[in-house]
Amino acid sequence: MSIESSPDDRPSPRADLVSAVVWMALGGAIVYGSWTMDRLEHLGATVYTAPGLVPGALGAVIFALGALLGVRAVRQGALTPAGVSAVAADTAGRRRMGLALALMLVYAAGMLGHGVPFWLATFAFVAVFVAVFEYPMRKERGQVARGLFMAVLYGAATTFLVTVVFEQVFYVRLP
Amino acid sequence: MFEGLLSFGHAIAAFASPVNLLWAFGSCFVGVVIGALPGLTATMGLALMTTLTIKMPSSQALLVLVCTYVGAIYGGSRSAILLNIPGTPAPAAACLDGYALARKGLAGRAMGIATSGSVLGTLIGMFFLALFTPVLGNFALRFGAYEFFWLAVFGVVISGNLTGKDPLKGWIAGFAGLFIAGIGQESVHAFERFTFGNRDLAGGISLVPALVGAFGFAELLVVMKERRGTVKVNPFDSVIPRIADVVAHWRTILRSGVIGTFMGVVPGVGEDTAAWTSYAAAKRASKEKEAFGKGSVDGLMAAETGDNACVPGAVIPVLTLAVPGSAPAAVLLAAMLIHGVRPGPMIMVENPQFVYEVVAMMLFATLGILFYGLTLTKLLVQILRVPYQVIVPIIFVLTVVGAFAIAARLFDVWTMLAFGLIGFALRTYGYPMAPLVLGIVLGDLLEKNLRRGLILSDGSLEPFFTRPISAFMVAVIAIVVLARFRWFRAAMARLAALLPWRRAA
Repeated sequence: MSIESSPDDRPSPRADLVSAVVWMALGGAIVYGSWTMDRLEHLGATVYTAPGLVPGALGAVIFALGALLGVRAVRQGALTPAGVSAVAADTAGRRRMGLALALMLVYAAGMLGHGVPFWLATFAFVAVFVAVFEYPMRKERGQVARGLFMAVLYGAATTFLVTVVFEQVFYVRLP
Repeated sequence: MFEGLLSFGHAIAAFASPVNLLWAFGSCFVGVVIGALPGLTATMGLALMTTLTIKMPSSQALLVLVCTYVGAIYGGSRSAILLNIPGTPAPAAACLDGYALARKGLAGRAMGIATSGSVLGTLIGMFFLALFTPVLGNFALRFGAYEFFWLAVFGVVISGNLTGKDPLKGWIAGFAGLFIAGIGQESVHAFERFTFGNRDLAGGISLVPALVGAFGFAELLVVMKERRGTVKVNPFDSVIPRIADVVAHWRTILRSGVIGTFMGVVPGVGEDTAAWTSYAAAKRASKEKEAFGKGSVDGLMAAETGDNACVPGAVIPVLTLAVPGSAPAAVLLAAMLIHGVRPGPMIMVENPQFVYEVVAMMLFATLGILFYGLTLTKLLVQILRVPYQVIVPIIFVLTVVGAFAIAARLFDVWTMLAFGLIGFALRTYGYPMAPLVLGIVLGDLLEKNLRRGLILSDGSLEPFFTRPISAFMVAVIAIVVLARFRWFRAAMARLAALLPWRRAA
């Protein structure tokens, strides 16, 4: 018994097995949390109005679907060497994404709300982001100084426009 | 009928002020640009614009959102034709023939076909929106707790089945969305669930920051991960649509418009499925099947008409059932709720004028895409050449500000970040986002109506299966799920072979 999926661009069976285990763990935890949740009988709650009823049922469904996915992954060879994706990992892409993620988290979770003014944080984030990711191309063309100037310009323009547009046009408070 | 036309006329008159026209055309432009930029979707654009328009009057804010939505779905065809990269998933079908035409030196004609298909598709969808919303609204008055419970399940199951490549993963994402919607205080006793003592979580996960994260932040990470070199744009000729193309393919336009609208009405299915279904139907009906994929005007017209007709179609269940027909429509539904509009079965009783206002908004959006279809190409090509390392940080700043703008609290920014990371991980492992979003939107509907139904029936499950509309929905859900199993299909094939006329054949 298996549910079919179209074969192109699929993650490997091993990856499916990993995600199946995560879903089963999550589903199991939800069922446990719902089962041990206060049933509020002292407030006159019945089994139909108990707070854990719906999340418990959804947890059970997530667990069951995760198990189904796990069984399918095993049948497709997740536990064999062939079950691991043969496609080479795009390490350059991952590095680029990791660096972008780090800069984004520093800006959104590290600077905003921690005493750094919005305009300064935004200017620094945009300028550094553009400078860092344009650096290889600018270096190759011998335009490092020009690249840095442009990055500062993008940072300043973005900060100015976002501040003016959000506060003056959309009347939105900034972080 | 005449009452409807009168309401429609009133709505057009109400929106036809210079300020509203400026907002309509401005937001259409934003939509077209977001749609044209590969990697950025209509859902993301709508989620962002929802946060920006939070302080605007409701009718103006919704006008902006509808125009962004229509613009984004249309805009995707530009990059599909010029770069062979669909700007959004919706015009992926348009890539096949649009890019093939562009390679023959007919990029301008292809864009003209896309414009005429999109404009006519939206108009056909708009016609059905005006015609069927009151009918469906009146029918929805028959829905009780049992039917609404199954409607929520139906939405998640159908969306999981038709979006993405793996229905099992779609269903998992959908049920995970339903669970996420239940985090925080429940509606009967205000009891906190799965909040781990966090006060901010007690109010539940805010939908818009979650959507901005799952579609905005996650999409930016995907864009940064994928290598994108310098954009090479095809040269193009005149982009003015040709009347001969429309006249020669009127059957395809009508068929695709109807299919697109219908696919829009089905909960959670969306524009990309509408485009592919219209494309497949056009191919089946065509006498030149071999031309499809090699620059067929019929194929491009079908795909573009289908995906744009889906937009008004997806709004029909939003208005009548408060159930979104697609992922962007889920954001539109959330925006309506934020702005105090109560879509659902009572809309034709409480606020029928609003339905015609939405139809009028669609009309302005159609005029917008027609205008930009004729004028914007050269500017759009320049925008497509802006490097991603410049676009990504600017959009990220907008996602942060947008998430914060909803309630002016940093917790929403963290929600956005968390859902961005979850969304990125799910995409990496092949899970579609549309069912997750639909699950988050429908979670409240499912829980309230399950508990209400159980209280009404004193714990009996019987009415969930025996009331006619419920029984029909259960049957459809069961068939959709079982049809994914080989043994079921084999059994059905064996059963079909026993039918008298098949045996005779």
